Amino acid sequence: MPSPEISLPSLPPSQLIESEPSESIALELETSLGSAPTQSWEFWKVFGSTFVTIFLAELGDKTQVATLLMSAQSQNPWVVFAGAASALVATSLVGVLVGRWLCTRLSPKTLETATGMILLVISALLIWDVARM
Amino acid sequence: MDWHLLGLSFITVFLAELGDKSQLAAIALSGANAKFPRAVFLGTIAALILASFLGVIVGEGTAQVLPARLAKEIAAAGFAIMAVRLLWFSQDSESAE
Repeated sequence: MPSPEISLPSLPPSQLIESEPSESIALELETSLGSAPTQSWEFWKVFGSTFVTIFLAELGDKTQVATLLMSAQSQNPWVVFAGAASALVATSLVGVLVGRWLCTRLSPKTLETATGMILLVISALLIWDVARM
Repeated sequence: MDWHLLGLSFITVFLAELGDKSQLAAIALSGANAKFPRAVFLGTIAALILASFLGVIVGEGTAQVLPARLAKEIAAAGFAIMAVRLLWFSQDSESAE
């Protein structure tokens, strides 16, 4: 019985490419350190204005009314709080993601006009709320 | 843990807030401050969580304790100011940069 000859493919001489340590890390570090103070100041300015306007707008709103009604009716208000808080995180995450998506789709000028119009609509809705109080 | 109550409150609030003005505000503010979507997100959730926290601890007495009418008037003015700045003064700020 002839034994089948197994031919191993001849391996080419090792062509391992020596990976050189990249210098891009050092560059990135330098550039990110550049304008740190003004960046974080701008961040907190945006955070603060968002927080104040949305907090004042939401006081006495129907979500808050629903939350306090449910927590008053149930024995454990903290479960209601956990549910309401996670729902609010979910809706605002959706809102911010939609906003970012619009940023990539619209030209800066159109985006400014559109966001300005939405902010005017929110202002009108709030005045409508006050008028009905 | 009362999962039924947790789910009920999540769904109620989620549906109430979907397309409501706070979500519209999140869309508009992240469009207006395109460089800091994270700041807008964190500011929004901090405000909403604090508002519902107050709803839970204050309970039925919210209307007496918090001047909701005045708060809404201030918020309306704040949003109007941001809108006016975006619609009328954005060209000036761009040329200044």
